[in-house]
Amino acid sequence: MRPILLQGHERSLTQIKFNAEGDLLFSCSKDNIINVWYSHNGERLGTYEGGNGSVWTIDVDSESRFMVSGAADNTMRLWSVQTGKCLYTWEFPTAVKRVAFKDDDSQVVCITEQRMGHQCAIRVFNINREGDGTNQSKEPLYMFNPIGSKATVCAFTPTPNVIITGHESGKVALFNVKTGEEIDNNERAHGDVVTDLQMSKDGTYCITSSKDKSARIHDTKNLMVIKTYTTETPLNSAALAPDRPYVLLGGGQEAMSVTTTSLRQGKFETRFWHKVFEEEVGRVKGHFGPINTIAVHPQGTCYASGGEDGFVRVHHFDDSYLKAKPYGDLEIAD
Amino acid sequence: EDAAEESNVSAELIALRKRLVDEWNAWRALCKKEHAEERGHKHEKVRESEEEKEEIE
Repeated sequence: MRPILLQGHERSLTQIKFNAEGDLLFSCSKDNIINVWYSHNGERLGTYEGGNGSVWTIDVDSESRFMVSGAADNTMRLWSVQTGKCLYTWEFPTAVKRVAFKDDDSQVVCITEQRMGHQCAIRVFNINREGDGTNQSKEPLYMFNPIGSKATVCAFTPTPNVIITGHESGKVALFNVKTGEEIDNNERAHGDVVTDLQMSKDGTYCITSSKDKSARIHDTKNLMVIKTYTTETPLNSAALAPDRPYVLLGGGQEAMSVTTTSLRQGKFETRFWHKVFEEEVGRVKGHFGPINTIAVHPQGTCYASGGEDGFVRVHHFDDSYLKAKPYGDLEIAD
Repeated sequence: EDAAEESNVSAELIALRKRLVDEWNAWRALCKKEHAEERGHKHEKVRESEEEKEEIE
């Protein structure tokens, strides 16, 4: 499994995302820039410039037509994937920490930070797909302030008007975006900040990662914890491998507490765990700092990791990985 | 004796894994069924409202 190193960011990566076909990989960083790469060879296709702050989050629609980003300059931006032009900019009182498209591309949900007298807010915007995309409504369709601990991550669930959120306290919750009502919660889903949340293909379950060193699979309907993966390092990201019974976990201690030798050796590892048996099955080394974000190709043929070291590494799986049945012939539903 | 013990352990492990896979697959089947029903329900609703519209017209 030879990695491709993508060099194009000057500061740490914050989120990476494949498009639906998996031919493109989007990356955003604290260097204010968003890049798009060909996933098969790592060639850079383009750059989305114009923001004035760390870009915290990105998402791409299912047609690879629009990309949405959220940044420390208190803006959420809509971009044309093809031309690289910024089509629309929404401005907020505080930074945008997370954005996510609905699976039918009709809406975007975003989280803005709690700061300077402003509460953490969750807003849902309609995305007007008519015309060239520049005609968007300034005002959100829905807006509310989640009660209690502030939200760090979110995504739409298959249930209409219901989103799932992860919080600073470790809580995972379901909210009705129309009313702002917290429909259900699991206060003890994690013991520390929820750092990532990625949905399964059909949205019926999701995986979360946390600084509490664990990742968990939750049923998105009732928030039941289905699986737990406990590691020995704080986790920043967790991803599901489609059609394979694995989950990929990444994280690592902050650079301050790491010895210089391990920094030099690129010892930060992506951990592969068996999704059903909750056993670690392998690790891939390479990053020189904590892994901040992991994404798996939608067809499961490769994965990418983005690090605190400013690099994105793309790993194409060997045939042996795709054919391997490390625990016998048991058929495992995706 | 050791070998016998080892094979016992692996038999237990195999049984455990079989059970875990069965539980997982059962939960997935339930999720998929509910998901499909909800989608069907949604479509029905859309159809109903379309029919209503037609009647009004």
